[in-house]
Parts: sequence; structure tokens; C-alpha cells
Amino acid sequence: MAEDLNWAIGGEAGDGIDSTGKIFAQALSRAGRHVYTSKDFASRIRGGYTAYKIRTSVDDVQSVVDRLDILVALTQRTIDENLDELHEGSAIIYDGERSWEAEIPDEMTAVDVPLKSLAEDAGGAIMRNIVALGAACAITGFDVEYLDEALEKRFGGKGSKIVENNKEAARLGQEHVEENYDLDHLGYNLETTDNDYVLLNGNEAIGMGAIAAGCRFYAGYPITPATSIMEYLTGRLEDYGGHVVQAEDELSAINMSLGAARAGARSMTATSGAGIDLMTETFGLVATSETPLVICDVQRSGPSTGMPTKQEQGDLNLTLYGGHGEVPRFVVAPTSITECFWKTIEAFNLAEKYQTPVFLVSDLAMSVTEQTFPPEEFDMDAVEIDRGKLVDQDEVDEWLDEQGRFRAHAVTDDGVSPRAIPGTIDGAHMSTGLEHDELGRRTEDQGERVQQVDKRYRKVETAQEREEWDYREFGDPDAENLVVSWGSNEGALVEALGYLEDEGVDVRVISVPYIFPRPDLSEEIEAAADVIVVECNATGQFADLLEHDTLTRVKRINKYTGVRFKADELAEEITEQLAAEVPA
Amino acid sequence: MSSDVRFTDFKSDKQPTWCPGCGDFGTMNGMMKALAETGNDPDNTFVVAGIGCSGKIGTYMHSYALHGVHGRALPVGTGVKMARPDIEVMVAGGDGDGYSIGAGHFVHAVRRNVDMSYVVMDNRIYGLTKGQASPTSRSDFETSTTPEGPKQPPVNPLALALASGATFIAQSFASDALRHQEIVQQAIEHDGFGFVNVFSPCVTFNDVDTYDYFRDNLVDLQEDEDHDPNDYKAAEKVILDSEKEYQGVMYQDDESVPYHELHGVTENMSDIPEDAPEDAMDLVREFY
Ligand SMILES: Cc1ncc(C[n+]2csc(CCOP(=O)(O)OP(=O)(O)O)c2C)c(N)n1
Ligand code: SF4
Repeated sequence: MAEDLNWAIGGEAGDGIDSTGKIFAQALSRAGRHVYTSKDFASRIRGGYTAYKIRTSVDDVQSVVDRLDILVALTQRTIDENLDELHEGSAIIYDGERSWEAEIPDEMTAVDVPLKSLAEDAGGAIMRNIVALGAACAITGFDVEYLDEALEKRFGGKGSKIVENNKEAARLGQEHVEENYDLDHLGYNLETTDNDYVLLNGNEAIGMGAIAAGCRFYAGYPITPATSIMEYLTGRLEDYGGHVVQAEDELSAINMSLGAARAGARSMTATSGAGIDLMTETFGLVATSETPLVICDVQRSGPSTGMPTKQEQGDLNLTLYGGHGEVPRFVVAPTSITECFWKTIEAFNLAEKYQTPVFLVSDLAMSVTEQTFPPEEFDMDAVEIDRGKLVDQDEVDEWLDEQGRFRAHAVTDDGVSPRAIPGTIDGAHMSTGLEHDELGRRTEDQGERVQQVDKRYRKVETAQEREEWDYREFGDPDAENLVVSWGSNEGALVEALGYLEDEGVDVRVISVPYIFPRPDLSEEIEAAADVIVVECNATGQFADLLEHDTLTRVKRINKYTGVRFKADELAEEITEQLAAEVPA
Repeated sequence: MSSDVRFTDFKSDKQPTWCPGCGDFGTMNGMMKALAETGNDPDNTFVVAGIGCSGKIGTYMHSYALHGVHGRALPVGTGVKMARPDIEVMVAGGDGDGYSIGAGHFVHAVRRNVDMSYVVMDNRIYGLTKGQASPTSRSDFETSTTPEGPKQPPVNPLALALASGATFIAQSFASDALRHQEIVQQAIEHDGFGFVNVFSPCVTFNDVDTYDYFRDNLVDLQEDEDHDPNDYKAAEKVILDSEKEYQGVMYQDDESVPYHELHGVTENMSDIPEDAPEDAMDLVREFY
């Protein structure tokens, strides 16, 4: 394995931790290195510990590990919080001139850099984090010119003076280390490559997917960690002829999106747990009025306001079963940042092909992680748009009854009815959350009720036949040990395979992006000696589903500390579980 | 098509199940006439209805329509209009629907000033759930859930609208057919959010706010030569006057800029251009 470097900057919220981390990640990406980032943040704006961590390698990195090589510590707490992950060879960059007396364990390399005064020399104390980045380059032998590029990208819009000052700050940091320490780069030689990577997080990938899919309308209400989807789309959606509205609440957000969808626009809303709760009433209306709508749930720790800035995959049951009465739906859960892009596009197609609400389920870890990819992974040429049975003026006649009324909820073999949007002459019709007949008119007739319920569910059956509800597979396909997961755990699992291999443990990994409908895993589970389901929740909601589908007990690895799985930790847990008894 | 549209074209073939004499009949007729009179036809009109006796209006009219969930009609209308500035959007509901469960949306729809009309059938009671107090019920109005009256002042929807920055505020009476139609017509023609509170008596559960009561007490602002709807102070005066019941246009800001103009939302969003995804290649480049 190529050497990989784990770097972090930590301090108080408001210290510019996030943007500093992002700049360094960008520099590494420009140098053709893979980057995987993670963030620790508390639910407050100023004060409270925050950190931005970067793992980088020339090989693909898809997870965090329990190791920190270089830490920029703006506070003592940053050191204390990370003691577990620091090791003998770790270097800690700190500002000895500041009032706190850094307590750094003896075996580590303390690198004292007067961040604030050097920043002032370069033009302003605000650039002290950039000084630290320059110092980090010096320690690792990383070419600061890549940092320059990232600074240009970041501050270019603010004028050349700002860019030059920042570059100067980085130089001063670099020089300070080179002049005062003889570190021999601590043994690092951060290789660069000619590869051009893009660096983005899951929420950006969802937003980009939405635009690529032809989404025109987005309404949302701010909630961590979904907000950045709205922030990404704001301004950009407008560039593509669409519009973003910040609604007064989630009830309004989903109803506006529903309105836009009925008017014919591809439309989406996104929120997190509590917001999904509020949207649930309208969710039923979306389904019975057969409106194509994408509802994105970026999960965070619940219940109630729970731990709003922490990772969890606890909403699976909510998206599967939420809503009174019985409501057909699709639940799609991307397993990686690239998949956030592709599954968003698929969600729009499914919604229109089947005129059904589609839950797009992501999670906090994926939403805030910046990761590098070859740009071809977001190949816009490969995007296909399928609008389903949207009828144009010429086709409307086929769907009129003897009185010339449009049968918007016509009972068809595949369960999908024609869809006419406003402006289509003779297509006018009403839709309602009340049970209705083919014309959309209220009915309590037993026969019609059953016909409509069956028709709506038939869409799911049709989709089950026509679409591919497949899974992603990693590791050894013939291994006896099967590990199944959903959502963002995939990256850590894939990396864990490397650790397991070192210990001689063969594992087959199945990562499932479809929750409903989902692939039938009976054969795979039957073929395995041991089945372990990995997920970030306490009860094992996906494991329950698999047990229900296959009538087989599975082992579980559940993490609900609010922190995502780490690759090395997962490898250990899998080994432990393999040795354990299958639950009775 | 629009030139020969008659108001009956907006009628569906469903027979209303409203109680004989319900104010909603007159309210609906006026709405259909106003739509036809302003040159709309069912294929380019979208009616969003709330939940309640009043909300059933969507069923009895013919156009593109959605009968939604309780209290959320305004956001639906907002979404329709934003996606399709070319479509006429009318939202209808009751006082419970609009000022109770939907009160939050009302305030925000008003301040967004989306170019649509909102007609509230105010019967000062919950009709469909059989006679409980509504937000506009009088404080001493006895109902099944308020045996001694709500003992709290009624919401003044016109004042709420004014305070929220409304650009068109009007009130009409279902049984004064011509005036009601004219007023709704003005709301449709207004460039922005046209709000009309309609006195639409419930003959079954409200024996206080009756046809006779409104007939005897209603003051028509048209007959008051001093009332200038463009004058905010004058509007404030009639809207806050708790002694009298008025009909007419209380307030209109002719200079108001509707949402779509202010935000440049003028495109029909229902089409996806053939080469849309390829065009989005710039989005990927941004992440280099
Ligand atoms: C979420 C929700 N809560 C309660 C109801 C029950 N409900 C139906 S109509 C209504 C009140 C209607 O009152 P109003 O809006 O004044 O209309 P009216 O029937 O008087 O025309 C209520 C509470 C519902 N449908 N949905
Ligand atoms: S109950 Fe009242 S509001 Fe409802 S239909 Fe009868 S009269 Fe009209």
C-alpha cells in the first residue's frame, strides 16, 4: 500500500477550521492525490470543538482510520480529543506564542510556529491557519505550489491582493519550519500524480445529480445536514432555468414541491429526520395523487432533535413505513458519493415513470465528506432522462372517457396512468388525497377503492420486474463470510477488506442501494456460513428486513455513537463477530 | 379557446353535496364567472383546494386541480405558479383551513406576493367536522367544543394580511353575486397575491353569522367615495374597524412587484431540453 497521511486541523467553531481543511484537501486533490475527509462538529456556531480531518494517499481512500499523523492544534482540547489517534511519530503544529501552554506528549514532535505573528507579517492575523498549512507542507515535503492553486481557487474572487497575502502566509509558515526544524519530512514523501480529480461531498453530488436530471424546482427548510443541498442549488438551479425557494417550514416545502411537480416540473425537497416527520402527511397525498416527487432524507442522530450534527442511519423504518394508511413508494439509498449523483438521477426517473414519491436516503457522514474522484465518474453524457407516461397534446384523446373526461388515474395493467400537465388541452382533471375513481373524483365505492389501491401497488410490482434492483459487491465472491450493509458504510467496509485480508480472513461484501424494492438476497445469504449486517443505528433496521425476507437470523454490527465506522475498527468488529455465536 | 369560454365550462359534472342554502354555492359561482370573465379556460387554470366543506370546491369545478391536505393549499398553489407562470392559479379554502392550521402558510404566502388569487370561504365555523369554533368565531359563540364561547378574540384575517405586507386585500359576500364576482375578478387581475375573504354563511351550524346578519350589517366600500384602496391608512382604518362589516377592496398596492418578476422566475419549468445533462458539464468542472 502506498503511504497514506492523516492530517487534521482542530479548534473552536468559528476558527475557520472548515475552510482551512477544504483548502488543504483541494491542494492535495490538485496534486493528483486521493482525499477522504471527515468532520467533527458540535451543534453550535461559536465555541465548541470542531475538527476537519483529511486522509490522503495516491491509492483510493474511502474511509477514516484511527490514526492521526499531523495535527494542527489551535486549542489544547484539539490535542486532548485526538490523543487516542496520535502516535509516536505524530507531529503537532501549534502556536507557542498564544496564551495556552500546549501539553504535548513527549514522544510526539511538537512544531511550534508563531501562526498569528507570521500571519500578521503577511497582512493579517486571519491568515494564521494558512500559515499552518504552509508549515504542514514543510513537514511533509509537499510542494506549496499546489496550495497556491487552491488558494487562488478559494480567494480568486476576492482580488489578487488577498490571494498574494495568503500565498505569502503559506510561505512564511513553510520557511519557519524549514529554518527551525530538521524533520526530514518525518519520513513522508507525498507523491503527486498527473491525475485530475474533482473534490466534492455527498450533498453536492445530490444537488449536481438533481440538475443533471432536469430538476427545475426545489423547496426546502434549513436543517442540518440537508441544508447544503439547498445552498448548492441556490443560484445554480436558476442558471438552468429553475428556482429554489426557502419555505417557511417542511410542510410548506413538500407542498410547494408537490405543486411544482403537478405543474409538470421535475421537483425535489430535502430535509432530515424531524423534517421528514413533518412531511409525512403530505407524503400520503403525493402517493395517492400519483405525483412524481423526490424527497431526500439526509439522516442524522434522532429521535427528536437528538444529536443534530452526528452520524446515524436511523430513519430507514420511517422512510419505509412512514405515513398513515398504506402507501406505495420507492426508497433508494446511495452507498457512496458517486452514487449520490447517479441515484438522484435514478430517483427522478423512477418518480416520473411510476408517478410515485421516491425517498432518496443519505446520511450525515456522506453529506459532509469531501472525496476525490476521476471526473468521468460524473459523466453527464451517460445521464438518461425518462419522463414516463407524460402525454402530449396528440396522445390525450386516447385517455378520454366517453364524455371526453381525462382519466388521470386510469386503471392500467402496469398500474401507471397517463399524466397530463396544465396547458394540455382536454387534459384538465382533479387529483385528491381522497380515494378517487379513474377521473380523480372522490369515491367510497368498494370496487373502485380496491381497484385504485391495487393499481397503486401494481406500480411497485411493475417496477420490480422492469428495473434492476441490484447490489454492489466487493471482496471475495466465494467467501463463506458475508457482510451486508447499506448507505455510506460501504467505503469503510471496502477498506476493511484490506485489513481482513492481511489477517487471512476472506469476506464477501454486499452493499445494497435499494431499500424498497430491494434485491432478493436469499441465495446469497443461504450460501454464506456467517452473515453480518453493518449499520449506524441501535436496533438493526436493515438487518430486521433481511431476516424478514430470508427467514434467517443474521449477526449485527451496530454503531450509534454518532460517529461513522472506521475501516480498521470495522475489520476488528467483523473478526469478533465471525467468532461469535449466531443469535438464537 | 379562451374567447368562447363560458363560466359553465368550469363546472364539473359532480353535484355539490353542500347543504341546500350553503354560502359556498354562491362563492363558487362567482369564482367560475370571474375566471371565465378574465379570459381563462379550464386547460390553463389550476385550482388548489383546502380541506373542509369549502375545500370541496375543487371537486365541483373543472380545471387542472389538486385537493390537498388540511391547511396546505397555499404552498401547493405557490409551487404550481412558480413552475408555471403561464398558468392561472386560484387557491380556495375555509377559515379553519386558512387561518388555523394554515395560518403560518397564509402569512408567508402573503409576503411572498406570488401572482395568484386566494379565496377563503369564511363561515366562522368548522363546517365539515360539524360545528366547532373556528379562528374567526366570535368570542362568545357557543359550539360543541366551546360551550361558553372560545373566550378569545377572533382572528382578523384582513389585519393579518395587512400586517404581513399584502398587496391586495378584499372582502365579499357570497350572496351579493355581482359584487362578489367583481371582487374576485379584481383579485385575479391584481399583479401579485390577490386575497379575498368571503362571508359564506353556514346554514347548518352557524345561526349568528347568517345571510340576514350580513345583509343588514354589510357596508360596501364602493359606496364610500372617501375610500381609496391605494391609501394604506384608509385601508388600516376599515380593516381595524371592529364595529362594522365591510365588503369591497380594502387595499391594493398598484405598484407591487409580484414574486416572479422580482426573482426572475418567468420560465415554464415543465420542459427538459434534449441536451440538458450534457449542458451541465460545467457543474463537474466547478469541483476541480
Ligand atoms: C390534519 C388534519 N386535521 C384535522 C382534519 C379534520 N378537518 C377536516 S375539515 C376541518 C375544518 C374545516 O373548517 P373550515 O376550514 O372552516 O372549512 P368549512 O368546513 O367550514 O368550510 C377539520 C378540522 C383534517 N382533515 N386534517
Ligand atoms: S355544513 Fe355549513 S359549510 Fe358545510 S355545506 Fe353545510 S352549510 Fe355549508
